[in-house]
Amino acid sequence: MEDGNIGMFINYEHANHVYNVTVERRENEFFITYDNIEYTVTAQEIKPGQLNVNLGDRMIKCMISEGEDRKYVFINGQVFQVKRVELTGRRKTEKKETDLNSPISGTVVSVKTKEGESIQKDDVIMVIEAMKMEYLIRAPYNGLVKKINFKEKDQIEIGKLAAEIERTKED
Amino acid sequence: MFSKVLIANRGEIAVRIMKACQEMNIKTVAVYSDVDKHAPHVHLADESVSLGDPTPSESYLNIQKIIESAQKVSAEAIHPGYGFLAENPDFAKACKDSGIVFIGPSASVIKHMGDKIEAKKTMQKANVPVIPGYHGDKQDVSTLVHEGKKIGFPLIVKASSGGGGKGMRLVKTDDELEQAIEGAKRESKSAFGNDSVFLEKYIDKPRHIEFQILGDEHGHIIHLFERECSIQRRHQKIIEETPSPMMTPKLREQMGSAAVAAAKAAGYTNAGTVEFMVDGHHQFYFMEMNTRLQVEHPITEATTGIDLVKWQLKIANDMELTVKQQELTQHGHALECRIYAEDPAHGFLPSVGTLSKVEFPQGPNVRNDAGIEPDFEITPYYDPMLAKLIVSAENRTESINKMIWALSQYVVLGVTTNISFLAQVLEHPEFQRGNITTHFLETFFKDWTGGKKGELPVDALIALAVYDAMHTQRQELVRFKEADPHSPWKHVGRWRMGT
Repeated sequence: MEDGNIGMFINYEHANHVYNVTVERRENEFFITYDNIEYTVTAQEIKPGQLNVNLGDRMIKCMISEGEDRKYVFINGQVFQVKRVELTGRRKTEKKETDLNSPISGTVVSVKTKEGESIQKDDVIMVIEAMKMEYLIRAPYNGLVKKINFKEKDQIEIGKLAAEIERTKED
Repeated sequence: MFSKVLIANRGEIAVRIMKACQEMNIKTVAVYSDVDKHAPHVHLADESVSLGDPTPSESYLNIQKIIESAQKVSAEAIHPGYGFLAENPDFAKACKDSGIVFIGPSASVIKHMGDKIEAKKTMQKANVPVIPGYHGDKQDVSTLVHEGKKIGFPLIVKASSGGGGKGMRLVKTDDELEQAIEGAKRESKSAFGNDSVFLEKYIDKPRHIEFQILGDEHGHIIHLFERECSIQRRHQKIIEETPSPMMTPKLREQMGSAAVAAAKAAGYTNAGTVEFMVDGHHQFYFMEMNTRLQVEHPITEATTGIDLVKWQLKIANDMELTVKQQELTQHGHALECRIYAEDPAHGFLPSVGTLSKVEFPQGPNVRNDAGIEPDFEITPYYDPMLAKLIVSAENRTESINKMIWALSQYVVLGVTTNISFLAQVLEHPEFQRGNITTHFLETFFKDWTGGKKGELPVDALIALAVYDAMHTQRQELVRFKEADPHSPWKHVGRWRMGT
């Protein structure tokens, strides 16, 4: 947490499923993380609700409008009704347990911890870049970093174990 | 020509008719119920008259209120559109009795064609093929069983005054016949107060193909070719096209002549439609005559260049039909999709709500006939059809591709619509091959749940997050953060190296 940029944690609900997203704006760039992948995009609101979002060499064109308790997102001829679930207090939404295997083949951009360090659940261990997107390997539980299998600039293959964490015995 | 016409309807068809009137320098009068006070058809009209209570019987179906409205504003003619009072002979008569021109055929023609048994008898006399069946007055069960066995199986028992599948039975073998007749009679009695039924041969691989008719008051009757309307849900059309992919020049000639003969036999004037059932062997049978402008009339306009509504007004004004049958040709191919506020993934249940965004696709040969605009509220009082999208192109393949593209650009937010369902029907290989029957949707789309719609795509999440970040003020964030330590607004540090 090296600076004070303001970001948002947002939970979107669609068809009884909750999607946890973070978004941070820095001047004209937006950094969005979802499912341990970071997307860096620029965007333009052409007219109210009509967005063109540049994601690498791809353009997302969409239309968003706000209903009473939900937003409507029109994208590629389909409409999705999405509700924003505000987190009050410390209510947690259902979340998949993270995995220490790389979800993709790519390049290790940075390693955030060292062997022998203790680490908290959800701390970032490693950042992997592929196809202009960044994937985060997070600690699935509190523990001790036993081994880190890759260093910066290494190539990592999909499914390879990024690191080994010894789970801390609770209580 | 008339100087002022009242349009006794709402939605896209009222808008469509008003635009034709405006082109012809005819002043237009809208009628509206309380929930339609801010509807597009009211905005478009030169004058408007309130009908009050939105219940159809108290508003758009109320003959007395509509006649009084026309008298109040001195309208010379009334266009009924389709639905509501369009095929009500009492309304046509009430107009005439009040000295107002009803834009459509005479009350007696409407009445005659509205009685399905009478209409079929008239057609048989005019040598128009009708589905083999029994339409007699003798309604005792033993006569009906005897007649049914003469027709052969499978056959259908239908209520004479029926509709919507009520009082209808499919009979596959003769031992089911008696029970089916009794059941249909009971159901018809309770639904329509009349237990009269008729029997008909069941048509295999049926297509619904209709012919557009125009007739004037001077004895001229022409047809404007066919429309293929087999794609139906709950006996209601949702996609129509012309020419029909199964049509041959010879069959078109035969059916067109039969349609003109049918209209002549009925003494028909103004715009009308002769509906046929066509079986897998290209045998066609008269089904019924719709004595009004049809929802799907724009595809005929797109392929013939004829403006049917303007001709309705001219004919009602006693002008002669100058379009000759031999001068008419079809150009290219046209498709229409009906945009409904309904959920195809849940039994086509109507959807209500306020429209937050509406954007129509625009492009060459793309026509939008719409009765909606942003902020308009869709209520449960009336038919949930919002608009029609009509495209035309050189041939059927290009027309389908254009329609799929146009649907992908069609934005209606605020209610659930059938737009992505329509696109998937058009993408179906059997539809693309032209292998369609009236059973198409129940065969291929029976348990449709929305296709790809189940999961929220990551693109939508990215777009939403960007939108929400754009629309949240920095000051607001700070305020939230200070007010509630547990709020979702937090400092998020960038974890990336070197930034």
